[in-house]
Amino acid sequence: MAKKSVLVIGGGIAGIQSALDLANMGFQVYLVEKTPSIGGRMSQLDKTFPTNDCSMCILAPKMIEAGRHPNIKLLTYSEVEEVAGDPGKFRVKIRKKARSVDEEKCTGCGVCMQKCPYKTDSEFQVGLAKRKAAYITFPQAVPNVATIDPDICIYIKSEGKKCGACIKFCDAGAIDFSQQDRIIEVEVGSIILATGFDLYDPSGLEEYGYGKIKNVITAMQFERMISASGPSGGQLQRPSDGKAPKNLAFIQCVGSRDTRHKLYCSSVCCMHATKEAILASEHYPDLKAFIFYTDMRAVGKRFQEYIARAEQEYKVTYIRSRPSEITENPDNGNPIVWYEETTARNRTSMEVDMVVLCQAMVPSGEQKKLSEMLNLKLNAYQFVDIPDRLFHPVDTEIPGVFACGFCQAPQDIPDSVVQASAAAARAAEFMSKEK
Amino acid sequence: MKLPDTKEVQTEFKPKILAFCCNWCAYAGADLAGVSRFQMPTNVRVIRVMCSGRVPPELVIRALANGLDGVMILGCHPGECHYSEGNYLTRRRAHVLKRLLSYIGIEPDRFQLRWVSAAEGAKFSAVVKEAADKITALGPNRWGDKR
Amino acid sequence: MAIPRIGVFICHCGTNIGGVVNVPEVVEYAKGLPYVVHAEANLYTCSEEGISSIKNNIKEHNLNRVVVASCTPRTHQPLFRNACADAGLNPYLFEFVNIREHCSWIHMQNRREATEKAKELVKMGVAKARWLEAQEEFESEVYPAAMVIGGGVAGMSAALNLANQGFEVHLVEKEPELGGRLLNLNRLFPINKAPDELVESIVKAVESHSKIKLHMPAVVKAASGYIGNFDVSIDEDGQETSFKVGVIIVATGAQVLKPELYRYGKLANVLTHLDLEQRLKDGELGEFQNVVMINCVGARIPERPYCSRLCCMTAIKNAALMKEINPEAKVYVLHRDLMTYGVEFEEYYRKAKEAGVRFIRYTPSKPPKVVGTKKVKSVKVYDELMDMEVELPCDLLVLATPLIPNDDNEELSRMLKVPIGDGGFFLEAHVKLRPVEFATDGIYVAGTCRWPADIRESVAQGYAAASEAAIPLRQGLVKVEAITATVDPRICKGCGTCVLVCPFDAIELKESKIRGLEGKIVAEVNAALCKGCGLCAAACPNRAIQQRGFTDVQLLSMVNALSGKR
Repeated sequence: MAKKSVLVIGGGIAGIQSALDLANMGFQVYLVEKTPSIGGRMSQLDKTFPTNDCSMCILAPKMIEAGRHPNIKLLTYSEVEEVAGDPGKFRVKIRKKARSVDEEKCTGCGVCMQKCPYKTDSEFQVGLAKRKAAYITFPQAVPNVATIDPDICIYIKSEGKKCGACIKFCDAGAIDFSQQDRIIEVEVGSIILATGFDLYDPSGLEEYGYGKIKNVITAMQFERMISASGPSGGQLQRPSDGKAPKNLAFIQCVGSRDTRHKLYCSSVCCMHATKEAILASEHYPDLKAFIFYTDMRAVGKRFQEYIARAEQEYKVTYIRSRPSEITENPDNGNPIVWYEETTARNRTSMEVDMVVLCQAMVPSGEQKKLSEMLNLKLNAYQFVDIPDRLFHPVDTEIPGVFACGFCQAPQDIPDSVVQASAAAARAAEFMSKEK
Repeated sequence: MKLPDTKEVQTEFKPKILAFCCNWCAYAGADLAGVSRFQMPTNVRVIRVMCSGRVPPELVIRALANGLDGVMILGCHPGECHYSEGNYLTRRRAHVLKRLLSYIGIEPDRFQLRWVSAAEGAKFSAVVKEAADKITALGPNRWGDKR
Repeated sequence: MAIPRIGVFICHCGTNIGGVVNVPEVVEYAKGLPYVVHAEANLYTCSEEGISSIKNNIKEHNLNRVVVASCTPRTHQPLFRNACADAGLNPYLFEFVNIREHCSWIHMQNRREATEKAKELVKMGVAKARWLEAQEEFESEVYPAAMVIGGGVAGMSAALNLANQGFEVHLVEKEPELGGRLLNLNRLFPINKAPDELVESIVKAVESHSKIKLHMPAVVKAASGYIGNFDVSIDEDGQETSFKVGVIIVATGAQVLKPELYRYGKLANVLTHLDLEQRLKDGELGEFQNVVMINCVGARIPERPYCSRLCCMTAIKNAALMKEINPEAKVYVLHRDLMTYGVEFEEYYRKAKEAGVRFIRYTPSKPPKVVGTKKVKSVKVYDELMDMEVELPCDLLVLATPLIPNDDNEELSRMLKVPIGDGGFFLEAHVKLRPVEFATDGIYVAGTCRWPADIRESVAQGYAAASEAAIPLRQGLVKVEAITATVDPRICKGCGTCVLVCPFDAIELKESKIRGLEGKIVAEVNAALCKGCGLCAAACPNRAIQQRGFTDVQLLSMVNALSGKR
């Protein structure tokens, strides 16, 4: 084998960073991502704290660099199926799912998306909008090619008897329903896990009425709503009547630091709520935002200043309290937040136009499957266990297998990027010793 | 002779200001001001140079002779130049340039030298406002017209 | 020079630009500018779609200059230059116009004027683009060695990683001992082990590594050069030594603030956590019954607004330890927000509560008060939850103070030409996506000299810096941006002004060997030494020396475009 190879699982910002570092060092990298595009959770965010830098704008160059790098083989819409062999010589089977689109021919023009008549909820827009059976996840997708969802596509379900609009309209002739799942086998010296997080479903916290009260949404839904590339083009529209909210309540620790749900702190919610409150106030200067918090965990560079700015410049109000209940005003659909103001010690309620739940974050669903495949230990919360977490913070218990980003502990983007580069350094070191 | 309504001239006049920013400090500071959404007057146009010391005095004079109302040079703080001593050169030149401007009949305040680091987004916004105010107070630059 | 055929690409950046600047109007305006043969708007010029559009239009319209008006060259220039190169256009025939950071984001309330400004900025960029020239980048070899400044955990982790990858590492530590801040600690959170054995194993690995050259006690005296080729001289125990390295990692750590609050230094039983740990280590703490700890002492205040990230955990660690040593003791932690982020820290906090440590939240407007003249006798604090002042008996008061930057940061910053930012800590290239790199190529940063960080985070940053440093070391060659100075020997009079102003001794007066000019004394630029500041170009009385990419005619054309002169 000419070049030493590494497998990176997960195409979010952490996986991309590990892949780029190793590719630039001269290693061959296989970057496996289960969805049709790399980009991960960061691609869904509107802005990033504490600079309010546009998330996609800083991410896109890295995605494109990963997409065009001669040492990176992107395997999107793919999942790792089997890992065998030994450290330094892992044999990996990867299932590249049938996209029903020829990646080489597709130009990403999007005609198939326009013509496709079948819809489902868009994962990228967190259910706020529909997508077609033929879809490109988001405009900056890498690779910028369409995918046809076999669960929705009538052509696939009817075994070619119905529809076929995409075939008819694709000028590039890229639609290929004869595609089958392919198993790709690679041999790699090292493996990096960067599988990220999922969002904890807040409907389990019945007191907050998510799913029942229309104007109670999640932070990720808010993020899509306020984003220019979101379904409302950056306009805040409350689900019940489409009106722009005049006041907004953010509720922290929804499922985090909670004995009935997740005991841990999800680390990033205090800051993303602050950012979202700022963005809302920026879009609508008269809007009032309230943040109900437990402890304001603002520990990073410029975070305290960011909170001060939210309070002073954007008139965001921080209320130290964990609301006990949210009810709905039947007349106007307004959520009513019931809480005890712990610093002032009075029990009270507040009627707002919309509530944003800052839900806990949990390790991604595929983590369990991967850990079984690798025989890797997870901790009580299904995060990857790091045996010597102080001095070898990205080393798993298996030599040559490293973990970075949210899959091993809740953390923000810079910390994930740091760990991703650290994992790359450790993988490079591991393979240098394994001559 | 009827004098123009000075009050109206004052409110209508929006000077056009050119700002040379060094890549390492001032331009980065301007970027930070941007990402921080510090709102500022619209009259400043930035030209990026690698070092404030790249800007020859005659280019400043040319800009003013062309009719621009003000020119700024923004560099790293003294002692923090990315190229060791470029901004010291800028400072010495600026000193001479100010005197030359006043000698040839241009208000020296039309030229402003300021230091802004990469971490000083708020300061960038503040110095731009301050310069815009100063130059607005001077009124339109008519120096070029006379020649 | 072929007749310029300029293509202009104007980015909406979603609504970041398009929400303020009328992009279609700017596109129409651009179409009317001299030499512009194509102008278009993109939703995101930096998306794959936008990049393909640039490439396709270069081919379709035979463009020989490309102007993109979008965000900042400091993050996106490489992307667009690569796009040009992919389409066969020399990447230096690309010009960047910033209409986001320098326009739409700072004029959000003034759409008309922002649009007019964007037009002028595009006009200036197009004016410069007309005069752009193709350039070849200078390639230079990377000297396969690294210098790591600082022998704490961050620096040692970086050094070991690079050494194990096969590179020679010079590790420079100013103290006579490796280990840094860890040497002062009694036990580590959240593992509750003494650091000694753990540190010792790392120190041994560093000391015994054949690839690591340890300089101790030593300080860096001077550093010059550029990525791949730095000349460093150090003072090692009174002796001057110099060596060459390709990359530099700064991991110099931080110090703990000694406060001037709560009568620290005046009353014997007031300690910082660092003092407490030293006494515990030395077995000199003595008896205690009532312990009070105060958090955020000298932190999160107007003159030092930041949170030092690790003090809450330090306080919880020591509070629990006090209970462990003396289960009968009363231990109070007076805190503001408790920063026990993540999985393990939150659990650690819960366990301390279960062990009987009492936590009381105080407000900065009503800070705790110390009672006692020779010794602290009690601490009075307003308890928010109970809405009353409580008096806590106290025979040991422990203050959690923040990490503050080292005193020598400024000197190092001047020497290496790397910036200092918030609170006096080093400033990374990008707070989100380039956390361990400086804007200057070839120099990296890790650990608490960048920002307060615990051990786990410092070690991760050490490895991360090693990863970035390993890239040029493994590539062996780096390309230097083609913005260096060039001399036109026909115009040069050999006066030597440029030689005087050049900070890098990159220019020499030499006899010309060019045909027709043989024997003429002219300036000659050594491209390997030139860093592209342009000082010489500004100083040359004959305009004989020019900085590539920033020539007189390029800058003048921008000035003229702005002032409406041709």
